[in-house]
This record gives sequence, C-alpha cells and structure tokens, in this order.
Amino acid sequence: MPSVLEPVTIPNRTVKKETSSKGQFAPTYYVICWNDPVNLMVYVTHVFIKLFGWDRQKAEKHMMEVHEKGKSVLVREGGEKAEFYVHQLQNYKLQATMEPAE
Amino acid sequence: MRLVRQTKQWLKYQLNQREVECLRSLLRQFPITADVHAKISQTDDDPKSVERETLLNESLVEHRKELKIQATNLISAEKLKLGEKGCLLTLDPEEREIFLQILNDIRIGCWHALGKPEELEPEKPPQTEKELVFYNLMNLAGYFEVAFLQALGRNSRPGHD
Repeated sequence: MPSVLEPVTIPNRTVKKETSSKGQFAPTYYVICWNDPVNLMVYVTHVFIKLFGWDRQKAEKHMMEVHEKGKSVLVREGGEKAEFYVHQLQNYKLQATMEPAE
Repeated sequence: MRLVRQTKQWLKYQLNQREVECLRSLLRQFPITADVHAKISQTDDDPKSVERETLLNESLVEHRKELKIQATNLISAEKLKLGEKGCLLTLDPEEREIFLQILNDIRIGCWHALGKPEELEPEKPPQTEKELVFYNLMNLAGYFEVAFLQALGRNSRPGHD
C-alpha cells in the first residue's frame, strides 16, 4: 500500500445538460378501477389479490373504495405495465382504465 | 358445492346433481352478448391512447374466443366426473381463474342485456320472459362465483395457489 499520496487523474466525464423534468422521464399512469353495480364484492377482492399479489386486507380496502367512492387508484406504473394491468382487469370484466398521472 | 381437496396443482370441488345441471346449462350460454367496446382511458386524448384502445379491444375479442373453448372443456365429462356423493370438478389454478372469468362474463352480459340497471333487484318483477331469463342467468352466475370463492375461503394466500 503506498504511503505517499500520488496525484490522481480523474477521467473526463460527460455531464448531461439538465433539461426540464417533464422531458426526462417516461410518462406514468394511474390504473383506476371504476364502480359498477354488477361485479360482486367478493369477486373484485379476489381479482385484486390475484393480479397484484396483495393481502386480503389491502384488496378489500381498494374494493371498498371502489364501492363507496366510485373508483380506486390501484397502482401507478409506466405505460406498458399500466396497459398490461388494464388488459388483465378487463379480462375479468372489471371496469378499469389508465389515466395520465401528470 | 364445496372444496373437498386442494393441492398446489389442483382443486377438487364437489357439486350435487342439481348444481351440475345448472352449471352445464349456464356455461352453454356463453357468451351472452357480442363483444362490447372497452375504453382504455376516460381522460387521455393522446394518439397513443387510441392505439392502446384498439389493441385492448382486439385482445379482449381473442380472450373471449379462448374462453369459449374453455367453457366447452369445463363442462365435459372428463372434467366433471361422477363420484359417490355427486360430481367432482377438478381444476388447476389457471382453469379456476378462467372459470371465474366465464361466469362473470355471463353475469355482465346479462346485465348489459337488461339495459345495465342500477338496481339488480328490481321493485317490479321482470316484464318479459326474456328479461326473466337474463335475471335468472345473472343471479345463477353470481351464485357460482360466490360459491367458488367461498369454497376457497381463507386458504388462498395472496398471489399464490
């Protein structure tokens, strides 16, 4: 181990110019489940557990939010993942959409 | 209807003869309605959203075609086997999800056919025979959904089968 400190050369690093925060990140989306009078509460809870891997308590909380407030924001994701969740939820016939988060 | 045995690979439900008849008759009705256009967003007017909506609807059409094949398979003699105390229905976890999706598609289809009423238990009895059939099918599909999920009970762990 050297006892005397030697000068160190720091390699050139390219520093990216900062741009506005809007242009830097890919857009994200809220996946929202909307209320309807026909899907059964026990069924909606099951779908949330199945698709998101949530525990029953969390799934029931979101199900109740849909039931009482008319909608629930389930997750916030990038475009592809949000689209995937909407497809899955609609395969189960739940009314789900993806809405821009910003 | 009850869950008599469950492993990681399959679930075995026991149904009485009446339930088997109802289930077979119900699944033969699938699909109740033609494909309904689904929206991908309520606020996004980006051209990408239009593209996404087209893809979603194409995917849903394909999915229902697959469900139709599975609906026939699920009521086959191979799946519903006569046992000592009624019929045994054996499903793997994926088949169970397909089964639930078919039942709910029937339920939602009936609801659409009834004009999407806010109240599912109307004050007046159904006015036509057609309405009566849709109400009965909608309730029957709901009965099986609840029976299936209650049979699973608290044994189901999140994200696992």
